[in-house]
Amino acid sequence: MTAPRVRFTDERLANGLRLIVAEDHLAPVVAVNVWYGVGSKHEVEGKTGFAHLFEHVMFQGSGHVGKAEHMALVQAAGGTLNGTTWLDRTNFFETMPSHQLELALWLEADRMATLLDALNQENLDNQREVVKNEKRSSYDNRPYGQAFNKLQALLFPPDHPYHHPTIGSMEDLDAASLEDVSAFFRTYYAPDNAVLAIAGDADAAQARAWVEHYFLKIPAHGHIPQLGDLTLPLTLGGEKREIVEDRVPLPRHYIGFRAPSFGDPRLDAMDVASQILAGGKGSRLYRRLVRDERIAQDVGFFALGFISGSSIAAGQVTVRPGVDTDLVERVFEEELDRLTREPVTEDELARARALIETYELEALQRVEERAERLAMYATLLDDPEMINRQLSRYLSVTAAQIQAVAADVLRPDNRAVVTYLPATGDVASDTDEETAA
Amino acid sequence: MTLEEILSVRPESGQPRTYTFPHFTRTVLPSGMQVLVVEIPGRPLVTANLIVRRGVCDEPAELAGATALMARAMTEGTERYPGVELIEAAERLGATLGVDANWDSFFASVDVAASRLPAAIALLAELVEHPTFPEADVARLREERLNDLLQVKADPRRRVDQAFTSAIYAAGSPYGRPAGGDETTVAGLTPDGLRQVHRTILDPGRTALIVGGDLTTAEVLRAVGAPDGLTSETANLPADPTVTAPPVAPGVDRPIVRLYHRPGSVQSEVRMGHVGLPRRTPDFYAVQVMAAILGGLFNSRLQMNLREDKGYTYGVGAGFDMRRGAGPFSVRTAVQTSVTVPAIAEALKELSRMRETLVTDAELVAARDFMVGVFPLRFETPGAVVGAVGGLFAGGLPDDELARYRDRIEAVTAEDVRKAAVDHIRPDRMAIVVVGDAEAVAKDLEAAEFGEFEAIREEAAG
Repeated sequence: MTAPRVRFTDERLANGLRLIVAEDHLAPVVAVNVWYGVGSKHEVEGKTGFAHLFEHVMFQGSGHVGKAEHMALVQAAGGTLNGTTWLDRTNFFETMPSHQLELALWLEADRMATLLDALNQENLDNQREVVKNEKRSSYDNRPYGQAFNKLQALLFPPDHPYHHPTIGSMEDLDAASLEDVSAFFRTYYAPDNAVLAIAGDADAAQARAWVEHYFLKIPAHGHIPQLGDLTLPLTLGGEKREIVEDRVPLPRHYIGFRAPSFGDPRLDAMDVASQILAGGKGSRLYRRLVRDERIAQDVGFFALGFISGSSIAAGQVTVRPGVDTDLVERVFEEELDRLTREPVTEDELARARALIETYELEALQRVEERAERLAMYATLLDDPEMINRQLSRYLSVTAAQIQAVAADVLRPDNRAVVTYLPATGDVASDTDEETAA
Repeated sequence: MTLEEILSVRPESGQPRTYTFPHFTRTVLPSGMQVLVVEIPGRPLVTANLIVRRGVCDEPAELAGATALMARAMTEGTERYPGVELIEAAERLGATLGVDANWDSFFASVDVAASRLPAAIALLAELVEHPTFPEADVARLREERLNDLLQVKADPRRRVDQAFTSAIYAAGSPYGRPAGGDETTVAGLTPDGLRQVHRTILDPGRTALIVGGDLTTAEVLRAVGAPDGLTSETANLPADPTVTAPPVAPGVDRPIVRLYHRPGSVQSEVRMGHVGLPRRTPDFYAVQVMAAILGGLFNSRLQMNLREDKGYTYGVGAGFDMRRGAGPFSVRTAVQTSVTVPAIAEALKELSRMRETLVTDAELVAARDFMVGVFPLRFETPGAVVGAVGGLFAGGLPDDELARYRDRIEAVTAEDVRKAAVDHIRPDRMAIVVVGDAEAVAKDLEAAEFGEFEAIREEAAG
């Protein structure tokens, strides 16, 4: 099966907005995805969690849209929407019945141009409370909920902006002021720091005309501040560990490594290695730890691509009751080490390629994913054509390349380990908030 | 035009492109098994789902958890492919096997390139017809389930879900049990118990193979090795009267409050509700619109109140989980500990308001427009279409149910919505179940008199 080629136009409007349009008419559905080149790495000390809080504020109305009206209009048009914030970027998206494309474009233009007209203390305070409840619900009150944040903190030094989590701290969220929000908007939410991707059932010429109409007069910032040199050594330079006693019934290890940057072909090899290690019941870690030796309840391994310093490759393993916690870590790491010492078999590679091909085709069936990937590759790599190259890059990864990247990445001196152990007696939730309640 | 002039004009909607839920064909094989095919041009990745209308609710109480465990164990080896060979064979096709059971049905599904469909279907048939249930692997999966039950206790969201369903159903109602079984029943499951359940799903009269993607009915019939000369028709059967609901009885006849103590919790996980409705309820569409306005839309009444006005929560939802029998109606949220009582009070207020006053025209139109407009978005991929057709089969619904969905939604009135709320939201038997810090909330929660109060202070394992 050959992957359908995604054909698209790619241009920059006079105000710097990058516009990508991929037209197809398989379903009467169109996706709009706006990526801003700002994420939690742009936050400074004392203002963590700000990029994400701001993402919430973007749904609170703008010059010509009332509070919560953005959602109401999209929903009444039969569309769906959301926004996400991550280390390198923030994005906002709508998937619409195709005859409602213009509405989505107008809504995105209105908040890019006039968000501050609607900003007020009440809306900020309300969304601050919502975000604090998101933090409680997604991290603080959840078993193992802080694991990834802790791993991130171990893998990146305190002076690197990947050190702190996207959700931020309660103290910093409390401190965020209207002035901070306004300054953040003026600095980063400008057309010359954005990519607008449209994919699906749209007439490309009409879509372009609408984008010009609504966006072209939004002024460019002109001098979006660039972050300094954030490069990091590929290896951590020594193992780091943290033990967490928490309200969990089973011990679990989270084992992370610095890995090559997003877009580096070595990260493709790491993705294929992750599939061979833990992608389903035929994978090495599952087979050895869960199926054959029966020492683990579950296993996982994956890579997360970032562009400023290093990516993260990480896995986790949950220890079965009554099994020695250290033994489980040792066996897990033996399997990682085996990847550095001997090439994967032809059959393992063939199975991994076949599965990755299916996953990629499955993902690219949806207009939302096509728009997302076009905007992502344009924002992070300045290369939207990667949407058509990524699969062949995966399929061309060799056993030797996997062994090489494993040898570079999966080494003890590049390793951070967060171990959760069942607490003896009562423990409070793992939170940074004053819990006087 | 200035930017201000440009943005101050809201765009008009364009002309909607016609959309109808795709037709599908039905072919009955000599065994009695149905083959349903949805031809979806331009989709080279196809979905095949073998579905049997026997689910968790059909298993005997003493074997609770056996259907789910059987489904998991089916990929642990078959007569022709012992051990992991079955999984490996599927992986070589680029196919991930999804084998599972829900309340209504058992299913084995696969996403695969159209060209590899015959091989993938052969694997589905092999694992469904000839699993070996090796003793050692069944023992391992049984222990994994027991370990998972430990995790349920520690995770406030999973714990409150389980406590809620066991509160609202009477003992003996299958829906009151965890679908995967509990500590007692799972510990007693053996390969023989799984074989006993397995025999009941080998029933071609209750089985359909549903395939969607860029291929024809003839190609699918060849892939399943159907004999020549079978008749394939565009599916247009009415509801299937032989599909029955499991016995379900409410366990609560008055408002109750159960608080499960989880020391130091920074949030209270809250579930409120009661036994709801079966899928084949006559006023299904009115109920759907009512539930959307109450707690289904992103800007539902509950969301606008508890999240966007009060900031009590990251999110709140409400709805009816409809199955062959009456699944639960629930309001679901997590709120910061200090606002537990006011959040529950606001949610109760919204439930009453739904019953007492008509929704506004704006609310009604917005909800209907969303449900009608989002309909094509829900069925963009073969996997989604096949899933929806599987839902029709599992519930014994008419073949044209989805084709008529949008007209039915459009016809719902404000009075229909209020009647649905009055008939199906029952404050008089509202169960409010909370997992949170009893030290912080018990006193106020009891004093609020939402219902007969009980605090359960046994500490979760770990």
